[in-house]
Amino acid sequence: MITLLFFGRLGDFAVGVPTTMEASTPAEIRTLLAADFPALAKELSEPQVLVSVNKMIVDWDQHLLKGSEVAFLPPVTGG
Amino acid sequence: MHTIRIQTDDFDLAQEYQLLRELSSTVGAVVTFTGLVRDFEGEGSIESLSLEHYPGMTESLLEEIVGQAHKRWSLIGTTVIHRVGELLPTDQIVFVGVASQHRADAFEAAQFLMDYLKSKATFWKKVSQDGEQQWIESKDSDAAAANRWDTDSV
Repeated sequence: MITLLFFGRLGDFAVGVPTTMEASTPAEIRTLLAADFPALAKELSEPQVLVSVNKMIVDWDQHLLKGSEVAFLPPVTGG
Repeated sequence: MHTIRIQTDDFDLAQEYQLLRELSSTVGAVVTFTGLVRDFEGEGSIESLSLEHYPGMTESLLEEIVGQAHKRWSLIGTTVIHRVGELLPTDQIVFVGVASQHRADAFEAAQFLMDYLKSKATFWKKVSQDGEQQWIESKDSDAAAANRWDTDSV
């Protein structure tokens, strides 16, 4: 299973989203979410949104290993 | 020598400065920056600010940024402190302190650390105003501030 995390404004769109799912890439997760959570999937398609696997920024077609933690990261606003 | 802390508690500027100052007798310059919660664009005052981060990843990114600063400039010590959780207007949010032999290294490294922190570290601000909560949008100017360090001319 893959663990899903949504940060910042994406968290507001991810209410009710499962915390785990089976998927082979972050892009596939986005596609799978589109059916039940179209507003979230649209947000995830914004070019500024980054994806990380096990806390490392990766490409959307990164192959996911079992047990990976995938996080969706909107543009950061710290400091 | 570097220190990175992410915490809900406030920090003491004088104490952090003193720690950098006492790192070595070769310290000839200490530059510190403190970021505060302020009112945002638009009318009225904000009630509070909520800071979220990605535990584990934020620390790694800050380690990487601080590591880059130490490679790029001649530094004796750096401290980066970022608060998370609920903050109120005028509260301290972020501290960057740099100790070096000469001022140019400390000035430039402090600015680099803040520019990179603002555009790369996984923090997100949410503001409460007039009973409503809203995530802060990132600014192009912050990305541009970080990008200027990408050239080799510095």
